Amino acid sequence: MKKRFNPIKDKSSEIINYLMASPDMPDDEALRFKLRLSIEEVVENVVRYAYDGGIGWLEVSTQLDNDSLVLTVELRDAGVPFNPLEQPDPDTTLAAEEREVGGLGIYLCKQLMDSISYRYENGNNVLTMTKMIWK
Amino acid sequence: MEVIINQQEEKTLVELKGRIDTTNADQFQQEVSPLMEGNQLDIDIDCTGMSYTSSQGLRTFLLLQKSVNARGGKMVLRNMNPMVKEVFDITGFSNIITIL
Repeated sequence: MKKRFNPIKDKSSEIINYLMASPDMPDDEALRFKLRLSIEEVVENVVRYAYDGGIGWLEVSTQLDNDSLVLTVELRDAGVPFNPLEQPDPDTTLAAEEREVGGLGIYLCKQLMDSISYRYENGNNVLTMTKMIWK
Repeated sequence: MEVIINQQEEKTLVELKGRIDTTNADQFQQEVSPLMEGNQLDIDIDCTGMSYTSSQGLRTFLLLQKSVNARGGKMVLRNMNPMVKEVFDITGFSNIITIL
């Protein structure tokens, strides 16, 4: 399934719901929770930061490989080139006083998905996440 | 998402319900902001009905814990759904927030 949303300002929920309604998505509640959270974090990043004022497009897709049961979720936008994976991971061992507020979204995706990768291609940011699922 | 705050004599009982996500994270922060000031120093939060939180919700929990610590108070979160608990575990929040 693939769809291009344009414009994307204030459209996070619609984009997340579109992806979660894909027939490629699993039924298992715990898996859906992890996928939904990861998708929300990356979609929100694009909607908030990719374009000045949110004026621009975001193309999202899901693909399920029926042999390997690997689900791939891809986001593509033409916003400011930005590799979210370059952000340093938060230090999860620090005390509350020392913990920085924020920077958790991409870290959660890294932990909850099996893989997450970024490439800049033909003027687009392309973020790809995979997760093995059981239908 | 719903935040119910019940101020007892010395304890503040809080009930969280629903999902904390991109649509209501700002509202969540606003609704718990009374807990970040004054003498609310013994905060007991029932998470039975909280089914989801994004990183934006976590941010508010961290601010709340920092505020409680700064005022020398204590805060506990109870009855957390296992999927939400996993998010607190992964981010190390289980080490800095008391989850019973």
